[in-house]
Amino acid sequence: MAVKISTLEERISVPAEGDNPLNTQEYFINMGPQHPATHGVLRLMLKLDGETVREVIPVLGYIHRGIEKIGEHQTYRQFVHLTDRCDYLSAMMNNWAVSLMVEKAMQTQLNDRIEYIRTIMAELERIQSHMLWWGVLGMDLGAFTPFLYGFRDREMITDIFEETIGCRLTMNYIQPGGLMDDIHPNFVKRVKDVIAYAKPKIDEYEELLSGNVIIQERLRNVGTITAEQATSLGVTGPVLRASGVALDLRRVAPYGAYGQVDFEVAVGSVGDCWDRYWVRVEEIRQSFRIIEQLIDNIPAGKTMLSKPAKKIILPEGSHYAQLETARGILGIYAVSDGKSENPVRIHMRSPNYHNVWSVDAMTRNARIGDLVANISSLDIVVPDIDR
Amino acid sequence: MGYIDTKKSTKAKVTTVGNTPINVVIAPRSPSGADSESLLTTIFKSVKSLFVGMKVTIGYLVRPSTVVTQQYPENRETLKMFDRFRGQLRLIKDENNYMNCNGCNFCEIACPNGSIVITDQRNPVNEKLELERFLWRLDSCTFCNACLQACPHDALEWSDGFEAAVYDRRLLVYTLNDYAGPPVKAINRAKKKEDRVEELLATMEPRKQYGGPVPLAGRKMPGVPALETENTKDNASPKHK
Repeated sequence: MAVKISTLEERISVPAEGDNPLNTQEYFINMGPQHPATHGVLRLMLKLDGETVREVIPVLGYIHRGIEKIGEHQTYRQFVHLTDRCDYLSAMMNNWAVSLMVEKAMQTQLNDRIEYIRTIMAELERIQSHMLWWGVLGMDLGAFTPFLYGFRDREMITDIFEETIGCRLTMNYIQPGGLMDDIHPNFVKRVKDVIAYAKPKIDEYEELLSGNVIIQERLRNVGTITAEQATSLGVTGPVLRASGVALDLRRVAPYGAYGQVDFEVAVGSVGDCWDRYWVRVEEIRQSFRIIEQLIDNIPAGKTMLSKPAKKIILPEGSHYAQLETARGILGIYAVSDGKSENPVRIHMRSPNYHNVWSVDAMTRNARIGDLVANISSLDIVVPDIDR
Repeated sequence: MGYIDTKKSTKAKVTTVGNTPINVVIAPRSPSGADSESLLTTIFKSVKSLFVGMKVTIGYLVRPSTVVTQQYPENRETLKMFDRFRGQLRLIKDENNYMNCNGCNFCEIACPNGSIVITDQRNPVNEKLELERFLWRLDSCTFCNACLQACPHDALEWSDGFEAAVYDRRLLVYTLNDYAGPPVKAINRAKKKEDRVEELLATMEPRKQYGGPVPLAGRKMPGVPALETENTKDNASPKHK
């Protein structure tokens, strides 16, 4: 697939292609930036022919805050809390990515306790992210009930975060060299309670939404992207796995405690909205499986290996680390001059930025109604696109 | 098209990415080819699925015990936050209202967005640097906990007050210390040595919550009551320097 770079004006002025027997006129319509189905301030310019979408042009930058630039003026420890604000539904994994990059560069060896708690926390975060997505997908497709159920179950997990960390969404918990706090004494019991509570709820999700024939018809064979298209667009995460590529960094390049646990990677076979839907629901189940294996044997040990007062100065050169967030591969790239506490350059390879461009490949020559299902099945968090 | 039975048609197998073997489960699809069902079966399964989904909804309707909603303003008396909840920043004080903070600036350095501003002064009695004013800007604070982590004297904590909304932007800039003066450590040391304790305690000056620099230069606004400060003329400058 060739990549074509053009300005917005050039793309708008391209004349209509193909045969046009009815002699209809193509027109443009703005979807967003303020639109409930775009999950934030994402603007999509739609080239329409009646109800048929000829082209989707995502226009970004409406929530650009310059996080990468601010990161150049902050220490690595301070930068961690900004990554919460990118993909706020996988805040813990974003923190972990920065920590992983720093630890890789400093060659810090972590103990098992830190790795276990990080893994459990990241999986809880993945579950709550997918639960929220599940509810929002239902709402986008016209069913309001799943939204309430998804939020209800997600609250149980955010309560665990609140008890141990003190925050529910932007947590700043995983720090370079360890964790901000030790886990709360109630943590293990609460996690077990949530597993016992939420596992039957997943079956309820299946009955309510997955098994519903209307939802199946809305999702099946809608917004198909092939494995080849997906890989050439740089799509990662559940969207890529739904196309049949089993690329999951937790398995392919294990970090944390993922090397010690047994779980299966959910993949699709066609790459349509249904596969993306099912992959995420199955990932909730697999995440519960990972937590169940780890929660009973968290080893003892310190939870912070580096003193907060000690300066973190990375060796000169560029450093990179990546991990699998709830939406795909997040990579953190930093260049250090070897002298100062602040990085010279920070770049984030954010999963949503790469995933959002696949919406054009999915929606071409489909209907407007399917576009909403496509955006919803991509599970976009817009602040992560613009950063 | 056919109906997708999510319980039955999941397949597990092993694929490879690079050289790594990976166990995968493949998403269920509707039966096709030789397995495809008749139209009547599809219609029956589809209609049944609607009723199964409706059963879940009705189940919650007739079981009010599963309701998790909290009636917030009504339950204010009984509402209890978790003990690590990050509400509002405050200084730890002992029973005599003496604080642990000695104005060492570590939290100001650790703060990623300049929400903490600390002014120090030198005490005329024991010649030590001490806290003059601890200014915390709630309006720019991101509740990242970096100040508590950096504090070497265990001087900061979070309160569980989450109702921080105010009508006036000036009210979001707090002076956290009640007094400008020596920390509890210096007072205890002086008491132990019995060295000019009374004089040391006399150097304490009261600080009001809304003294010091505030947004809009703390000026009066129509319809908003004036801020209560310790010294309205020049409340930002320390006395002894």
